Amino acid sequence: MAKNTVAVIGTGQTKFKTHYADKTYVELAQDAAKLAMDDAGVTPDELDAIVFSMAPTQFMGVNDCDRWATSHVWGTGKPFMRIHAGGATGGSALQAAYVHVASGVHRTVLVVGADRVAETPDAQHVLNLIWDRFYEHDFALNTVTMTALAAQRYMSRYGTTEEQFAQVVVRARKNAMGNPYAHLKGEITVDDVMNSPRVAYPYKRFDICPRSSGAAAVVLSNLDVAKEKCARPAFVNGVSAITHSVFMGDRMGVFSETEFSDHDGEHIAAYEAYRQAGITDPTSQIQVAELYDPFSTFQFPSIESLGFCGRGRAAAISDEGGWDLDGQVAIGPSGGTLCTNPIGVTGLVRVVDAANQVMGKAGQNQLPNVHNAVATAVGGSTQFFAVTMLGDDHATRGRVQ
Amino acid sequence: MDVFVIGQAVHMPAARIGEKRLEELVFDTAHAALADAGVRRGQIDHVTIAGCDELDGRSISSMLLAAPAGAQLRDEMKCTDSGLTGLCLEAMRLESGIFELGLLVSWSKPSTAPLEDVMRMRCEPFYTRPIGLNMAITDALFAQAVGEKYGFDEFDADEAVLEAYRRADRNPRGIGHGVPAMEDIALSPYLAAPLRREHQAPITDGAVAMVLASAEWLKRNPNARALAQVAGIGWRNEQYDLGSDRLAGLTGFRATLDDALMMAGLKNAAGLDLLELESQTGFHELAFRAALNGNAPKDISTSGGAFAQNPYFCTGLVNAAEAVLQLSNNAGPIQIPRIKRAAAHGSHGFAQQGNVAVVLERV
Amino acid sequence: MSTAIDDNVIHGEWHVRYNYSVGKVAGQFFDGLKQKRILASHCAASGIAYLPPRAYCERAFEPCDGWVEAGHQGVIEAATIVTAQFEHLPPPPYAIAYVRLDNVSTALVNFVRGMELSDVPAAAARLKPGTKVKVVFKDTPEGRITDFHYELA
Repeated sequence: MAKNTVAVIGTGQTKFKTHYADKTYVELAQDAAKLAMDDAGVTPDELDAIVFSMAPTQFMGVNDCDRWATSHVWGTGKPFMRIHAGGATGGSALQAAYVHVASGVHRTVLVVGADRVAETPDAQHVLNLIWDRFYEHDFALNTVTMTALAAQRYMSRYGTTEEQFAQVVVRARKNAMGNPYAHLKGEITVDDVMNSPRVAYPYKRFDICPRSSGAAAVVLSNLDVAKEKCARPAFVNGVSAITHSVFMGDRMGVFSETEFSDHDGEHIAAYEAYRQAGITDPTSQIQVAELYDPFSTFQFPSIESLGFCGRGRAAAISDEGGWDLDGQVAIGPSGGTLCTNPIGVTGLVRVVDAANQVMGKAGQNQLPNVHNAVATAVGGSTQFFAVTMLGDDHATRGRVQ
Repeated sequence: MDVFVIGQAVHMPAARIGEKRLEELVFDTAHAALADAGVRRGQIDHVTIAGCDELDGRSISSMLLAAPAGAQLRDEMKCTDSGLTGLCLEAMRLESGIFELGLLVSWSKPSTAPLEDVMRMRCEPFYTRPIGLNMAITDALFAQAVGEKYGFDEFDADEAVLEAYRRADRNPRGIGHGVPAMEDIALSPYLAAPLRREHQAPITDGAVAMVLASAEWLKRNPNARALAQVAGIGWRNEQYDLGSDRLAGLTGFRATLDDALMMAGLKNAAGLDLLELESQTGFHELAFRAALNGNAPKDISTSGGAFAQNPYFCTGLVNAAEAVLQLSNNAGPIQIPRIKRAAAHGSHGFAQQGNVAVVLERV
Repeated sequence: MSTAIDDNVIHGEWHVRYNYSVGKVAGQFFDGLKQKRILASHCAASGIAYLPPRAYCERAFEPCDGWVEAGHQGVIEAATIVTAQFEHLPPPPYAIAYVRLDNVSTALVNFVRGMELSDVPAAAARLKPGTKVKVVFKDTPEGRITDFHYELA
């Protein structure tokens, strides 16, 4: 068990949209830092350290842009490091900040980041450049095609239909209507999704998240600071981040120890986080899941990996409304990553939205009686899985209920 | 801290490690560190990585390199600041109590991409990039500022470089640059005055891996031997914009070292037996020594530091590995007798925007 | 002062040249392609044969210590048909698939050519996991992964 209790005592996020013409990258990051510090009631002097959340810099176009942002996020003269795990960056950055506090080295830490995915018109080209130059780069792999491959495999294993994935999009966009920060939102139908242009089978355009710009931040502290600053903190009760090989072809077929389309690493990470948090029956103990679901096809294997139902069952439960706001577990009440994806901070936005539910600050989308919420982040070739457990009571850690 | 180094490996340096794919460089180093520690990869419960996409020429370099770094189905985390920052992060991960046995891996293969072009693209696009800053230019600005403040000139820097090469020449783990003639340094062309080409430590390719364990794990594994204890860690960034106070103040260097020393229960650097500095130029070596304000340990940069090998980004972690060798009496011909405490320093960013320090103790 | 802010930009481009070391393992693989042979690295400790070839085995965390030659037949593990135009990528439509070749434990991605792709769901149905495919080499391979592609067997 961790040596020191860690709590989220403040959160901040900007509105997310395709482009901020009126701000630079560092000004966006600054906005989120200020929001989170104000929310926590801490001043820059009270911050012991900063963790910067930033994925590839090629979208916004400045190498190691965290160095440029240092002063803007009140990091001058402070311990400052950047965490980068592709799409899982925000989840991993939160967990890095967690060890700053859990280790006792620091008391109060700001996690902050921003992304400007629309600064370049070449975003999918950049996402093709992540592939191995020798073996995979040539095959038009990008985040869309790579996850389409997994989705086709998942459909083949469990008989899931394109319409069932479409229903996920409908629910996400509807949930996002109650989230003032979400990028895409609105009432759409399954037919709208099915009739949007095909991109890479089984994807249509609406199955895919937007490219978003914006920023997010979280203030973490130890128990003493949390008691002083925050009436209802969200305790970070479990953290785990599991990595797979980059080679997707190693994760398929009879010789593989894991199954690519099942998000096995997410399952391993979830159950380690649950073990730390004392969660033994996720469906009854967890009320909210903020998933890293940039594609409609991500929800079902994620829900199954988190133990909310058996393998291959999530789609049928989705059809019955089991993942709606009033379902057995509310999946993505914020609208999730399908509606908003500022890559370098998406995982952090998941933590912000999950923590806000625990802290009772989720506004129009606040659900009643949220005691535990889980936030995930996924990155690389669907190979990095970060799972963070948030709860209203740190005393539940390790206690079997 | 209850954090111990129980094994390590430093890849043989070269100006360009051309015979290996980056993946192989990383695997060979991680594998050798595990062998040195006498543990299997299956025993490791987490991996910490320090790597820089832009230097690797990949946009999420840990995608390819996490598995060769031993992270397949393990809890893995990557920082992008420097190899020595990775050691600070790894120490906190172990100290947090949720892990027991970890592998830290950092690599740098600057020969893959034009280093100064990568550095140039660290400029924000509005104010500095149109002018064009890079490592040499910002180091020259630094050289001028610290020279002014502390009263040394380029002849002093020539001398500091020569001394660094002399120390590096005694280190069998260095790349073997040899000791240049004084005039080769002093008459080398200016890159950006007052910085001459031979004032810079030549960049090399390399990689470092360490196996670290908690006290709890060591108790349960009495056959494992601890090579050194991590006693204190510190890392700080200064502002990105370069003014004369920022350049000559060395406040980041001082505060970082103080953080690590204080955590180790030391008042100042005089309590150390050895300080391995990351000095990218002769001016840096002079400036850092001046910043110690007379509280210097007897031995400084005994390994030759960046002039022995300089896998830029990993150089500070190479310093930590050298400190571990010293503390475990494995430093060979440059072994310092009866050494008890050593610190490794690293720096990163334009004109040392970031500094990192780790204090290690004999077990 | 409240004026609308135009999207005022400063244009930039980023061209960085890279020289990626191939190394011995990949070098042997690419040399094999020139003879129309697909060589997989093999780890005796785990029994796994890897494509792309690996210098080391991820499972055993030991160096791969042998080579096996992949068959020119295999089964699809995952596939998609790309119907959108992405910057710097081929004109659509085209199909790609991860295929586990005979004698090999892992799947290797390449294009699937020679298929009618205009009816996307129908074409996708012909590329389900488990479908048999064969390897077709170019007449004059040059030691690149694109020296060959897959076709339905």
